[in-house]
Amino acid sequence: MTRRKFIRRLIATAMAIFAGALWLACKAPPRFVRAVRIKQYPGVLKPLEDISGPSKWSG
Amino acid sequence: MCLIEAGQSGECRVRVNIDGALRTVVYGYPCSIAVDPIEKKPLFHFLPGTGILSVATVGCNLHCTNCQNWEISQANPEDEDIRAYSCSPEKLVALTKQNNCPSLAYTYTDPIVYYEYTSDSAKLAREANIRNVLVTAGYINAEPWKKLLRYVDAANIDLKSISDDFYRRVCSATLKPVQNALVMAKASGILVEVTNLVIPTLNDEPEQIGELARWVKVNLGAETPLHFSGFYPRYKMRNLPPTSLKTLEKARQIAKSEGLDYVYIGNVASKEGQNTYCPGCKKLLIERSGFTIMQNRIRGGGCPDCEREIYGVWK
Repeated sequence: MTRRKFIRRLIATAMAIFAGALWLACKAPPRFVRAVRIKQYPGVLKPLEDISGPSKWSG
Repeated sequence: MCLIEAGQSGECRVRVNIDGALRTVVYGYPCSIAVDPIEKKPLFHFLPGTGILSVATVGCNLHCTNCQNWEISQANPEDEDIRAYSCSPEKLVALTKQNNCPSLAYTYTDPIVYYEYTSDSAKLAREANIRNVLVTAGYINAEPWKKLLRYVDAANIDLKSISDDFYRRVCSATLKPVQNALVMAKASGILVEVTNLVIPTLNDEPEQIGELARWVKVNLGAETPLHFSGFYPRYKMRNLPPTSLKTLEKARQIAKSEGLDYVYIGNVASKEGQNTYCPGCKKLLIERSGFTIMQNRIRGGGCPDCEREIYGVWK
């Protein structure tokens, strides 16, 4: 193999690896996804009462 | 991180995979809204003596067997006995103003599981000159944490133990993400206070307390306030006695001897353990009785006697 052929093959291999990695990165799910709110609460709702006092919960 | 199968919810019970999309079922539906004294969070170095509108939805990404708020943290949104308000971020900010609160707390369960509601409310609150406070276990990945911290002014973050084994056994979690969240929060410039709930026989050994205090000093700085909180038998941990005042006072003494400037005792009556003293001249700066400020001698963010700067947000 001539030096020129070797360099061509090296560049082609590097390009193939880069294209593959790019494809994988596009296909992979993002690590941080913002959740979408649902239209209706699945539980029971209550009317807003007096909130001026402290809560019974810790924290 | 938990992987959520289609049609299932995550560990927190409130984030659901519906047809391949991640949905939050509690956005805009808090189960608790109340005006608390800020000392209840506990935050002792952030706007002392003020009220703070405090909000929470059901759900938590931890399952601590000693949870003090397990009725809401371990609840499903569908549970009929835990009802929710309908309250948009806009309405939440309006309620904060109506109640003359300078700040808004995302608390009681964990704001990390109602992340989108917290984030959107915090953005609006900041635009309305309201400060945002998180009370959290800090069990979150770096990227979402960094994004949320942009809108946060102060946080009380639990460091439940310095042992990874404790986190795994008692909380169904791990230690490292919590330590990372603490370091990131402090580095972001927000005010950080740390709470450690002292549970008899599980994390009350003097060596463990010392190691925890050293970690706080080295990684967060000596000025970071540390609260040792008393345990009460709750949820699945009713077999252990409440933490004695003696144990909490010993923990405070150990943390102070490790070089921390501000160490407090909570959940029990303690005179000295609730007050703020100047780390320089040792004089009394803030005297507290329960959640009430009896006197506040801090002037211009410093000690009136030796003029040493005191870590905190005072106005």
